[in-house]
Amino acid sequence: MKQKQIGIRTILLLILIAVLALVPLWIKTPYILGIFVTTFYIACGTIAWSILGGLTGQTSLGHAGFMGLGAYITALLTTKAGVSPWICMLIAFLAVGLIAGILMAPCFVLSGAYFSLVTIAFSEAFRNLFINWEYAGSGQGILIPIKKGFWQMRWVSKIPYYYISFFMVIIFFIILRSIDHSKLGFALKTIREDEDTAKAIGINPFRYKFIATFLSAGLIAVVGVFYANYIGYINSDIMDHSYSLNYVMPAIIGGVGNIAGPLLGSAILTPLSEFLSANLSSVANGLNLIVYAAIVIVVILFQPNGIMGWFVHSRFKKNVNKKLDAVDRKLFKMKQAECEE
Amino acid sequence: MDVGILVQALVNGIMIGGIYAMVGMSLNMIFGVMKITNFCQGEIVMVSMYITYLLYTYLGLDPFLAIPLVALIMFAFGAMLQSLLINRSIKEDGDQNVLFLTCCLGIFLTNTALLLFSSNYRTVESIFSNQVMKVFGMNISLPRFVSFLLLCLATVLIFLMLKHTKLGKQIRATSQNPTGAQVTGIKTKFIYTCTYGIGAAIAGIAGACLMSFYYVYPSVGNVYGTRSFIVVTMGGLGNVWGAFSGGFVLGILETVGSTIVGAAFKDTLVFVVFILILVIKENLNIKRKRG
Repeated sequence: MKQKQIGIRTILLLILIAVLALVPLWIKTPYILGIFVTTFYIACGTIAWSILGGLTGQTSLGHAGFMGLGAYITALLTTKAGVSPWICMLIAFLAVGLIAGILMAPCFVLSGAYFSLVTIAFSEAFRNLFINWEYAGSGQGILIPIKKGFWQMRWVSKIPYYYISFFMVIIFFIILRSIDHSKLGFALKTIREDEDTAKAIGINPFRYKFIATFLSAGLIAVVGVFYANYIGYINSDIMDHSYSLNYVMPAIIGGVGNIAGPLLGSAILTPLSEFLSANLSSVANGLNLIVYAAIVIVVILFQPNGIMGWFVHSRFKKNVNKKLDAVDRKLFKMKQAECEE
Repeated sequence: MDVGILVQALVNGIMIGGIYAMVGMSLNMIFGVMKITNFCQGEIVMVSMYITYLLYTYLGLDPFLAIPLVALIMFAFGAMLQSLLINRSIKEDGDQNVLFLTCCLGIFLTNTALLLFSSNYRTVESIFSNQVMKVFGMNISLPRFVSFLLLCLATVLIFLMLKHTKLGKQIRATSQNPTGAQVTGIKTKFIYTCTYGIGAAIAGIAGACLMSFYYVYPSVGNVYGTRSFIVVTMGGLGNVWGAFSGGFVLGILETVGSTIVGAAFKDTLVFVVFILILVIKENLNIKRKRG
């Protein structure tokens, strides 16, 4: 069973967090820091997606629409009403979560590909509305003017953004982990495996899908608020269908349904795609995305459960566990049974 | 509102509906028979449009004359795609993998087109290009009309093929019950490959027709990918005439709707109607099962 004792795993995790927290001290290049920030917010988006897509098994391909809604909420509120982005995060979480939940509620009866199609339809409809809405800048988009300061969430340097996005990843991961271990998480996973069984044992699929949609869409709207203030400019293109895939691909590569999957996937894919677009797109237009898509296709073909799906059942994990347990026993004089979760 | 404009919109809707019907039918073959969600259908149309463009620039073939050749090439392309990639990711449980795979394939094809042809808009001249027919005071663009007739012809041929040939019967048997088909000695894997090939070939015919009055650019597939799913869900799965009528309904909805709510909001209208149809259909289904 779970032990609250500190083991080598906790220490390694803390070291990793500490190293990541100290990165801006010796990396000062804005470009590299930018890649870190992108990785962090894509990881947040992927975590938000995986509440609905991974835990509940409802593959959404329209999360860019909800993210865009969040981005538009902050852009409109900060530029027109002067509301602080920090408050916008809360507003976006509640508002977009509710909008998504209410709009999608009739669609919970749909399963599989039809649900994905509905989410695409929603995000495209939002995009079409925002592209024609003159108050929201229509096709030109909204430029958020630079007013420096903590309250405005606007800085010239990238270091504050680094810490905000890093902090967001940690919070999002804790949220995902606590959902995964809670009654809610088990209910969602039961719905994913077999909806009829879930109904039979007294789980109301409609209610739980609503909660999952609310959390998932609300959290990705928070990512949208961060994105809008980080980039400083938004237009309706961020709601495009292809942007939704940015939050889905890392989860697939990392492993759908595993809580560490989204983190691992975005830690691999985002720097890769940044590297490819920096190095290959100047050679030939589109080559970076060809390589990117080819890599994802190969992973889907040969490792359909993603990297974590492979890792969980692999001999490699057993070996790593054995080594870590040995260290635990030496350093902390723990019995083997104690440190196994 | 002027009745003349409305009638004109209706006619235009029927013309563009022919293309949607054709793309929808190609997806219907794949989605209906193999039950896989093919999210790269639009990109397959895009590939066939570029093939038509290549045949025109290098061989000087008119897009309408190129149709058989394009269909043949697309058949080979589709069969190859299916047997090399998609077949491997089909699992007994769930279609998530195929969904993601075809999504990635779409990105791959779009960007390959971007790499090879750049993002410029390309057009092709056919013998009917820029000609307009006047019937009862309505303007009908001739290439659209000719493609409309060709598409109707192709639909009838596909219907007859499915109904009366050996391959067609095998395809229908496989779509109804794969295991049962296998028991009777049908090579279902071969049938799947053929089906995907035929689906791609139908998309090829649609693409070649489309090329005679439309332009091609790498992301043109986005428009037709989602539209094809809308057509299929409107008309019903695994039904040639369903897809055919679904295409026309979508075409008319788009053109007539855009004269009513304004062209800017026609996408929203189409998607909202799509969601409504899906939800209502599913609820009716559930009621029928219970009742």
